[in-house]
Order: sequence, then C-alpha cells, then structure tokens
Amino acid sequence: MTETRFYDEELKVAFPLIVQDEAAKGEFSHFLVPKDLLPAITHHLHTQPSLHGRLTLLWAVDNRPIRDAYGLHYLFTLGASRSWVVLSTELAEGDRLFPSITPHIHAAMWYEREIRDMFGLIPQGHPDLRRLVRHEHWPKGTHPLKKNFPWDHVLGRQQGEHHFRRIEGEGVFEVPVGPIHAGIIEPGHFRFSVAGEPIMQLELHHFWTHRGVEKLFEQQTLTAAVPLAERVSGDTTIGHSLAYCQAVESLLHIEVPRRGRYLRSLFLELERLHNHLGDVGAICNDTAYALPHAHCGRMKEQIMQLNDKLTGSRFLRGVNRVGGVEIDLTVAQLAEVVAEMDHIEKDFSELELIIIHNASLTDRLETTGVLTERTAWDHAVVGVVGRASGLDQDLRRDRPFAAYDELPVKVVNYRYGDVRARIRVRMDEIHESMRLVREIRLKLPQGPVAVEPSRRAQAREWALSAVEGWRGEILYMVMAGENGTIHRCKVRDPSFANWPAIQQAVLGNIIPDFPLINKSFNLSYAGNDL
Amino acid sequence: MFRILKKSLKTGVVTGQHPAAAPLEETSTSEAKEKARPFRSSLAFRAVDTGSCNACEMEMNALANPVYDIERFGIHIAASPRHADALVVTGPVTVNMEHALKDVYQQTPDPKIVIALGDCAINCGVFKGSYAVTGPVDRHIPVDVRIPGCPPRPVNILNALQELRKGSDKG
Repeated sequence: MTETRFYDEELKVAFPLIVQDEAAKGEFSHFLVPKDLLPAITHHLHTQPSLHGRLTLLWAVDNRPIRDAYGLHYLFTLGASRSWVVLSTELAEGDRLFPSITPHIHAAMWYEREIRDMFGLIPQGHPDLRRLVRHEHWPKGTHPLKKNFPWDHVLGRQQGEHHFRRIEGEGVFEVPVGPIHAGIIEPGHFRFSVAGEPIMQLELHHFWTHRGVEKLFEQQTLTAAVPLAERVSGDTTIGHSLAYCQAVESLLHIEVPRRGRYLRSLFLELERLHNHLGDVGAICNDTAYALPHAHCGRMKEQIMQLNDKLTGSRFLRGVNRVGGVEIDLTVAQLAEVVAEMDHIEKDFSELELIIIHNASLTDRLETTGVLTERTAWDHAVVGVVGRASGLDQDLRRDRPFAAYDELPVKVVNYRYGDVRARIRVRMDEIHESMRLVREIRLKLPQGPVAVEPSRRAQAREWALSAVEGWRGEILYMVMAGENGTIHRCKVRDPSFANWPAIQQAVLGNIIPDFPLINKSFNLSYAGNDL
Repeated sequence: MFRILKKSLKTGVVTGQHPAAAPLEETSTSEAKEKARPFRSSLAFRAVDTGSCNACEMEMNALANPVYDIERFGIHIAASPRHADALVVTGPVTVNMEHALKDVYQQTPDPKIVIALGDCAINCGVFKGSYAVTGPVDRHIPVDVRIPGCPPRPVNILNALQELRKGSDKG
C-alpha cells in the first residue's frame, strides 16, 4: 500500500492538473485526467524507470442517456509492485476526438482502433485508422456499442474492400490464408508477403467471429450473464466466467466463502491442464511428430472425462456462479482427482522425456518464431507467450484471486522466446498445476461453497477483475446499470493482447513454420473477436 | 527409441475408453439417410466455423484422438471443401462469416450433406438476436443433420454420424 501512495504522490507532483479519485483506493489508484494531458501522462507512466507501466486495458463507455458524454479509461500495471493505475477522461458535448497514445505506446494500437469502430470516437494521430472489428462491408457511421444502436438489428451491407499493407518489388509474393483453414480451427485471415522462402511481412485480418458479445452482455442482468461469459471463448469457460463473477461480486460486495474460492482455483487448474496438454501434443504434431500428439490427446481426454464426471460438463460449464460455485466435491471425488493427477503426471513425465530427447524435434522448435523480450514488452504480451519471452508475470502470484493468496504459485519463466520456450513453459506449468491440485486437496477448508447476493449494485458503479487463465490475463470491467442490469461489460481475452505480436514473431521464418509458431501461441479467435 | 517402444507397450489400447453416449433425439431424417447412401463406407467432412466459441471445434478435434479414433469408421477430415462429402457447420453465422459460408457451400461438390453441429448452428444459442449474427445455419444453406448440445460430446457426434450412415428403415 505504501508503495502505491508513493506512485500516487509522484504522479500528482509531475502533473498538478490531475485529480485523484479517493473512492477507489483499495484495488487501484484512480485519476481523472484532462484529455489533452493523456499522451504526456501515459508516456510518463510507460517510460519512467521507477514506474515501468504496461498498458493492460483501454476501454470506452457510452454514458448516455444520463449524460451526453463518453468515458475513456486506461489501465496500467506498474512494474515492480504490480499495482494498478487507472486514468479516466471524459469526452463531453459532442466531442468525438481523443488524442491517440499509440505513437508512443504500441500496445494501444488495437484498443484505439476497436474504440473507433465500436463507439465512433476518433483517436487523433493514430498511425493506422483502418477498420478492425467492423469489416469494410459494415455501413458507414454504425457503431454497435453506442447506446442508441439497437442490439438486435442486423445491418445491410455496403461495398468495401480491406486494404492490406503492401510490399512491392521483384519476386515479392502475397500469400492469403483463411478465413477458413485446413484444420479444424476458428476463422481468421493471414496475409503473408514473401520473397523466396522467408516471411517479410504478416498482416492479420481477424474479427470474423464477431458476435456482438459486449452488446449482448448489456441485455442481461448482472447475475444471469454467467452462461454468456462461459461462451466468450469456449476453451476458457472457467477463466472467463470466474473473471466475470469476480467483477460482479465486487459490485455486489459479496465475499465468496473460502471453500468456494479453493474450488474455483481447482477448476481453473483443471482447465489449464487439459488445454496445456492439448497444446503440447499439437505443437509436436505440427512438426509431423504424431506420437506425442496421440499420447497428449489421450491424457487431455482423461482430464475432460474427469471434468465431465465431476461437474457434468467436459468444459466445466455451469460451475461458476455469482457468489461462489454451483458444485461441491466430496472427499471421495477429491481423492479421485488427486489419484488421476498422480497417474497422469507419471504418464506425462515419461512422454516429456521422449519429447525432450528427440533431436530433430528440438531442431524444429529452437530459434523458430522468436519473440524477443523487448518486442513482447512493447506489445504488452501476456500469459504463456510472455513468460516464454522473459516477462515474469502471472496474476496468480502478482494479484492473487480465488484461493491463490493461500496457494503460492511458482511462476515459470523462459528467456528465449522461441517455440521451444513456449512448449517448455506449458510443460512446466502442467507439473505446477498438478502440484496445486494436490495442495488444494490438502488445504481445502470446510464450509459453504457459495453465498446469495444480498445487496444491489449501485448504478454506474464499475469494477475490474483479472484472472490468469491458461492463455494469460483475462480482464473484465463490469459497470452496473439501473436495477441490476449491465450498463457496460468490457471483455479482454489474452488473445487480444497477444495476436499483434505474432506478426513480429514470424518475420524471417518460412511459411511452413507458421502453423507451428501459430500453434505455440495458440490464441483464441472467438475471445479476440468477441 | 527404447523409451518410445516401452511407452507404447505400457499404454496399450485406449480406443473406445469413453463413457457411453446419452441417447439423443433423432438427429437425421430418413431423407438425410438416403442422401448419405453413397457415403456409407467412407465420409470426408470439412469443418466450417461461422462464429463458434471453439468448444465444438475442440470436440471435433477430440474425435481424432486415440480414444475415439474416428478414422476407423471411415470418417476423414478433409482439408478443402472440394474434397468433402459433408460440411460440418458450427456457430451462429456471424455477419462477417456469412459470405464465407455460402462460398464454402458452393465449393463443395454434389451430392453433399450439411451437418449443423451444436446449439449455435441449430438456433444461434446464447448469441441469438445479436446485431452481428445472421443465423441459424439453415437460413443460409439447407441443413440435413442437426446434432444438439453446447457443445455435443464427441461420443454423441460419433453416434450421430454412425446413425446417419446406417441407412433408413426402408433399407
């Protein structure tokens, strides 16, 4: 806490025009900033060595009909202390322009384009104002997250074409890939420019699966929207529903019982396990090494069948609710879970030796798709990908949620940033997750697993919540509306932060290595596109 | 090498080690079964995601793992719609994917079977009514088989595909 104060005072001294909102002191420091000061203060937060702020989330809110104004909010995670600083500004009375911070904080690139698409607010000075979420066939001047945009009205189409960045010259070819891919994966478009074998440029054209999730949240009530959160990115059911529930719980001032918090950690680790196991196998498979893929597929299936047995859902759906969890586990079930962990860990350790000792596999993985620490930091990369590039960050340790304040997590960290580092992070995290599951069983307290909400959320109050899902940081910002409705729900899957970085990681690699690099990132399309 | 052999011997046969399927309602009509007649011994399907949350995709991928091993029933996953006998469509058909779906349908040779997989493909699921969703799938292309679930379990998908190819009662 004292450290947070130190930052606060320093900021107030450097920028006397900003006002601190004292109400938000516990979770994060909150400052109200005049919009003209935004570039200077964000630059200061980002570059000052003592602050070392990473842009974590940038979101807009349409405050109508109460006030004719848009709110813009910038969340930074400060270097050493991992404390949060939120800067807020307001665009009032027909003002639709705000200064872009992208020229000095690269990570703001997609956030600002997204705000422009969804709210029609223009980031002035942004280097790339092409459309992002709304493809070119969406009619001009339609911005779905404005309050006067009907949630259930499908618009007509207009003519329009997406313009990719072009590299021209002798022997330069463009290779388009997608949106429908050869394997069973989600839709996305990749545009490569190559000269000979090496990739000179990759440009992503995503948001094909944009389903209007954030607008759909606004049609729900706070306590009823959990099933929607579970389906933002289907492979991260627990991660998303947990982040959503935590945000609502802090709006409703609910303290989740300890047993409920422990079970949330348990299910989150089970989710991490089945996804990481699948990824380790899939990375090997993309080098045409099918044997580990078959073994990992088998182990992943075992965990999904275990999930099904425990909760009735292979994806752990219906587990989280506002106030706790729906499902309690018996002593016998817990013993079964731990027995299964012991069994799979032994199995996986044997497989790990097979994978690590395969020289031709190592040859494919090493130095492939390198994402340097500097590039990762500039893109504010999170999760597995960040930890493979030397970024030492994990919310389970840095901002403990669920039961992680009582369950210390050993954070895995590799420095090389290549595909091998990313597979190693996953392998080590599999062991760590299994250890955590065992520890949870030993420490699991008795008591209720959920409480009923007793208070109502105050309209226009908002809360932030963060969960370290298996991909990385999942962030939710939920703002309450009148009578328990949702005024705004900002969802940030880790994929949204990590996708742009893949454009840098593939440079100089050959196209046949792209599936491998892409798999080692394994980002969500649905969670990114919303 | 020794490690790999030891592992394979120790693991043994895992195919078929899954719980039995819950009985689903009739997923394919007798017309669909008639249409599937040419594909009784071999069926190649192409998956098309029109805005699914990725859970249906994961369950389809699970079909290829050693536990379900769908290939032993003569079912393959085709990399291109032009190699496919059937399209498996997931998701509520987003505005951005609508044209891609119609293109894929055009590019698939006749006769072809369209399978709507999961609640989203059948009735748009939790995304129903959104400004960005134009589905369900049968609004855009004719659907022959519907496999419900959010997501359907792999064993249910497998059973539905088997039932489709069993032939109608008429013979």
